[in-house]
Parts: sequence; structure tokens; C-alpha cells
Amino acid sequence: MIDSKQATDALADIEDTVRRVRQSQIYQVSSLVLLMWGVLACVADLAGWFWPRYGLYFWFAAYAVSAVGLVALSAYHRSKSRVRVFDGRYFLTFALIGAFGIFCCYFGHFTPRQQTAFWPIYIMLFYMMAGVWFGYAFLVIGATIIALTLIGYFYIPGLPLLLWMAAVNGGGLIVGGLWMRRS
Amino acid sequence: MAELDDIIHQPLRLKIMAALNALPQQVGLEFARLKKLTGATDGNLGAHIETLAKAGYVSVEKAFVGKKPQTTVTATAAGRGAFARHVATLQEIIAGKQV
Repeated sequence: MIDSKQATDALADIEDTVRRVRQSQIYQVSSLVLLMWGVLACVADLAGWFWPRYGLYFWFAAYAVSAVGLVALSAYHRSKSRVRVFDGRYFLTFALIGAFGIFCCYFGHFTPRQQTAFWPIYIMLFYMMAGVWFGYAFLVIGATIIALTLIGYFYIPGLPLLLWMAAVNGGGLIVGGLWMRRS
Repeated sequence: MAELDDIIHQPLRLKIMAALNALPQQVGLEFARLKKLTGATDGNLGAHIETLAKAGYVSVEKAFVGKKPQTTVTATAAGRGAFARHVATLQEIIAGKQV
């Protein structure tokens, strides 16, 4: 028979392992979302750089594709692990986050350049919050993309900012997604 | 008075069972992921999985994904039950119900 201290240690081991499993599951699903969003953000920024007049439409298209992608991803994950990952609550949460972002842009009278920096910073803020709860990878990815976005905003004038954003936002999410898959 | 399960109580096997028990029923973990989660070596993990499989606590499924062999380990109903009893016994020990 073991003593109370050994039993406490064993339970702590169990708790730690369960925490790692949960984090691993979150990282597995999130990494696919990050990879998808990395590609979409990269394409939307590059398309906006080529055809600046239609930049907003490219982003609407990116959001529409991402919604379809999330549904597909959810169905794929459910078939594989029998766990539903995205349901109506997630879509409502994303819609509320998006609505508040639009609210800020409208009442803040943001210029297109300011919006180019605002949206990644705003979304990455939620990544950083997720990092507090679900694992430091979100925190690192969010903080890095925010820092690089601010560097671009203050030091890269004109349209080349979109190229920078394609690299640091799109590229950053892709690298972050790959890193999460390996974690 | 409940007894600790000697098969589960070994530290690595406890981690393996904790990891598998955290998943929904009939959902398993790939060997590579289990190795990363438990921090075990290939040989060590393989040996302990075999012990758990012999006790009927886990099932091991080997398949090919493309050309790569993939081993998936899943907790059985008996394994989940044994793990739950083991955890209950640990809690009893902490609560001072067992000496």
C-alpha cells in the first residue's frame, strides 16, 4: 500500500497527463484552422496588393471560404474522433467577434491602411487570450504576429504593407500551425 | 477496502491509462502521439502497452496509413473500469480512509 503523499503524486501525474491530452487535441484541431487561415490571409493580402480596389471583397471571400472550411474541418474531425469540434456556438462567437471589429472600424473611421493592421491585431488578441487558457503556443503566435504587424504599420509605407502582411500574418499563421502540429 | 491495481499503478502505465481514458470511448491514440504525451521511449512504451494489453485494459490495432505502419492504442471498457477504480482508491488513500 502507498501513503497519502504517493497517492497525491499519482493523481497529480494523472491530472498532468489529462491536461496534456486536452492541449494536444486542441492543438491538433487549431493547427488545421491556422493553416487554413494562413493560406486565406496570404491570398487575400496578395490579391489586395495586385487589385487594391477590390481588397475588401477578397476579405469577404476569405471569410466565406473559412466558414465552409470550418464546417468541413468539423465534419472531418468528427468522423475521425467522434468529437464535435465546431458547432453553432463557435460560429456565433466568431460572428460576434467580427461584428465588434466592424463596429470599431465604423466608429473609429479607420482608413484602409489602419484596417489592414487593425484586423490581425484584433484577431491575435483573441489568440493571446486563448493562450492563457489552452496553451502557450497561441500566446506566442498572437504576440509575434501583433509585433510584426505593428512593425509593418509604422515602417512600411503604402501598398507594400499588404505584402508584408501576407508574409507575417499569412506566413505567421502557417508557420504557427505547423509548429502546433509538432508540439 | 479497495486495492490499488498493480498493473495500472506503475508510473508509465498510469500515464498511458490516464491519456487513453481522457478520450471518448473507442477513440484511441497513435503510438507516436502517446509517446510524446508520456515522454517514454519506443521500447519502454511498447513493453508497457503489451502489459496493459495482456491484462485486457487496452486494445492495440495495427494498420497502414498509406505506406506507413500506424499503431493505435485504445482503452477497453475493462481498462476504463479498472482505471476509475484505481483513481477512486487513490482518492480514498488521500482522504485517509485507507492506511
